[in-house]
Amino acid sequence: MNMARSVSILRRTFMSRLHGAMCPKSNAATQVLTRSYMRSFTTSAKCQDAKSNIGSSEENLTVNFINRNGETLKATAKEGESLLEVVIRHHLNIDGFGACEGTLACSTCHLIFDQKAYDKLSSVTDEEMDMLDLAFGLSDTSRLGCQICMTKAIDGITVRVPTEVSDVRRDQVEKQNKQ
Amino acid sequence: MPGPSTLTNLVEFFWRDGFSRIHELQQKHIHEYGRIFKSRFGFQFVVSIADRDMVAQVLRAEKDTPQRASMESWQEYRDLRGRSTGLISAEGKKWLTMRSILRQRILKPRDVAVYSGEINEVVADLIKRIQTLRSQEVDGETVTNVNDLYFKYSMEAVATILYECRLGCLNNDVPQQTLDYIAALELMFSMFKTTMYAGAIPKWLRQFIPKPWEEFCRSWDGLFRFSQIHVDNQLREIESQMEKGKEVKGGLLTSLLISKELSLEELYANMTEMLLAGVDTTSFTLSWATYLLAKNPQIQQTVYNQIVENLGKDVVPTAEDIPRVPLVRAVLKETLRLFPVLPGNGRVTQEDMVLGGYLIPKGTQLALCHYSTSYDKEYFSAAEDFQPSRWLRHGYLDRVENFGSIPFGYGIRSCIGRRVAELEIHLVLIQLLQKFEIRTSPKTQSVLPKTHGLLCPAGAINVRYTDRREGQ
Ligand code: HEM
Ligand code: FES
Repeated sequence: MNMARSVSILRRTFMSRLHGAMCPKSNAATQVLTRSYMRSFTTSAKCQDAKSNIGSSEENLTVNFINRNGETLKATAKEGESLLEVVIRHHLNIDGFGACEGTLACSTCHLIFDQKAYDKLSSVTDEEMDMLDLAFGLSDTSRLGCQICMTKAIDGITVRVPTEVSDVRRDQVEKQNKQ
Repeated sequence: MPGPSTLTNLVEFFWRDGFSRIHELQQKHIHEYGRIFKSRFGFQFVVSIADRDMVAQVLRAEKDTPQRASMESWQEYRDLRGRSTGLISAEGKKWLTMRSILRQRILKPRDVAVYSGEINEVVADLIKRIQTLRSQEVDGETVTNVNDLYFKYSMEAVATILYECRLGCLNNDVPQQTLDYIAALELMFSMFKTTMYAGAIPKWLRQFIPKPWEEFCRSWDGLFRFSQIHVDNQLREIESQMEKGKEVKGGLLTSLLISKELSLEELYANMTEMLLAGVDTTSFTLSWATYLLAKNPQIQQTVYNQIVENLGKDVVPTAEDIPRVPLVRAVLKETLRLFPVLPGNGRVTQEDMVLGGYLIPKGTQLALCHYSTSYDKEYFSAAEDFQPSRWLRHGYLDRVENFGSIPFGYGIRSCIGRRVAELEIHLVLIQLLQKFEIRTSPKTQSVLPKTHGLLCPAGAINVRYTDRREGQ
């Protein structure tokens, strides 16, 4: 059978069927269904502690990020929101931050806390710890920003984005030849 | 930059069957040429790196859309058949779009934890299967070629997540569709040398040696056919539920079908590629873990004791219990250090970079030699030994991970099935140890790894599954 053709037929039926089914007018089931999916998957960069749903939606907390160039970026935050969400929502210009969108695959959301704030943070999971070990410029008070939720207890904290230390080898180019 | 000559390489690979010893050759070349060296493979120029800091540097420098290697032949098949690419074969923006959608569903530990129940059902079937198989042996305890068993477990477990259905791999009679799929998969791997390199054979040569390309297409046809059947089944199921006005609930596939963020073709392709990536990887790892535990009875006993003390003798574990048995996580990490399923990985540099003092131009194919770094004595003491305890943390500030052993990769193009694989392996290891003591038998031979696309056991792993006695 002509593969391409049968595929395109299937695609068309799929589209029209599902479109029909998903059309808002079709029936109430659709609505329930969409909602149940919204619940079953935590959306992009959402905090691990599902507090974000119950927390207030008011932006009455603040966080200060000290960027790599030393500049301080002040941002408002909602209770229960992750620090990665704060960075994204305010479009803070932190180079390369949060590359994997909070899926614990990259450690580019690495932040350094002061000891007092660090002690108040939620406990760290094994998965976060493993990714943290691979983070650049690790310190004793490091955490991954996508795993930290804003709470009243840490309102007004200042966190530091680790500075990129130039690679020593970069300065000692011995040979420029490739082959 | 130093490195073996093209001719040496050709002889090594084709004459001496270097393909199956790629992992050893890695070590040999590093010994001879250092932790960064160049080689030429046919038309392909490759820079190999076996230094954890350089590996870290490469992966940390990654931008939006890292590239593993040229996927031309995979792309060509897909164009030919009007198919889409999936995560493994896609590049650039297309890859990033699909990855963003998929990672929000199966990469976060929390999203995967909900599958504990489904996986445990498969574990129960595996245990029954072990009991059946060993009863057929004279000693009533030995199971030969455990990889066959774990292959079925891995396939069944990943299918419950990807397709939301049971395939029946662990039944006494495996359904025909599933057998057909396994045949296609075997074809894919048995033809590995030729098929995977089918793309490396210049197109004009195909008219003289058509077989590799034909086999390549035939095995892909089989793999795609299988996912399509299961995706279509689920689609029909959803429709019938909706027609009845029922609330549709489901997992990964259902949510993808409903959200329509991916087209149907993209779904087929991703399901195909995830199944391809998710079966052998997990089963080889389980086979090695079984082998290592059988060979190291004292270590096995320590792990068992921790399970009994912290969880109980016969509590069925879920994802939430895993943090209480750090030794089980450690067994997995240590198994993957000794037998990294992907002994080497690739990256194509996206911009010029300086590595180990050499200027590497944009577009260079890098080979990251994970097998070698995993055995490097500078990164792991007693590197040849199986020591899961090296991965235990004795406090929050204990740092155990390092770029010497990153079996799932690191960063935005790392393994998307990582958390799924971990859960499948953690849950099954705990329950196997609760039920059985895994022991060597007179049939247990020494088994070495060989590279066959992935790093796999070169011979059959045969062990005894002895029932745990009271008070043990
Ligand atoms: C022990 C089991 C497994 C190991 C050791 C493993 C290892 C890996 C590695 C090393 C990569 C390459 C990462 C990189 O290039 O940085 C990879 C990619 C991938 N793996 Fe796994 N894997 C395993 C299980 C699975 C499972 C169960 C699935 C399916 C759910 C899966 C799906 C994939 C996919 C789709 C990719 C390509 C990702 C992309 O390019 O975006 N893997 N895996
Ligand atoms: S954003 Fe990647 S780990 Fe936090």
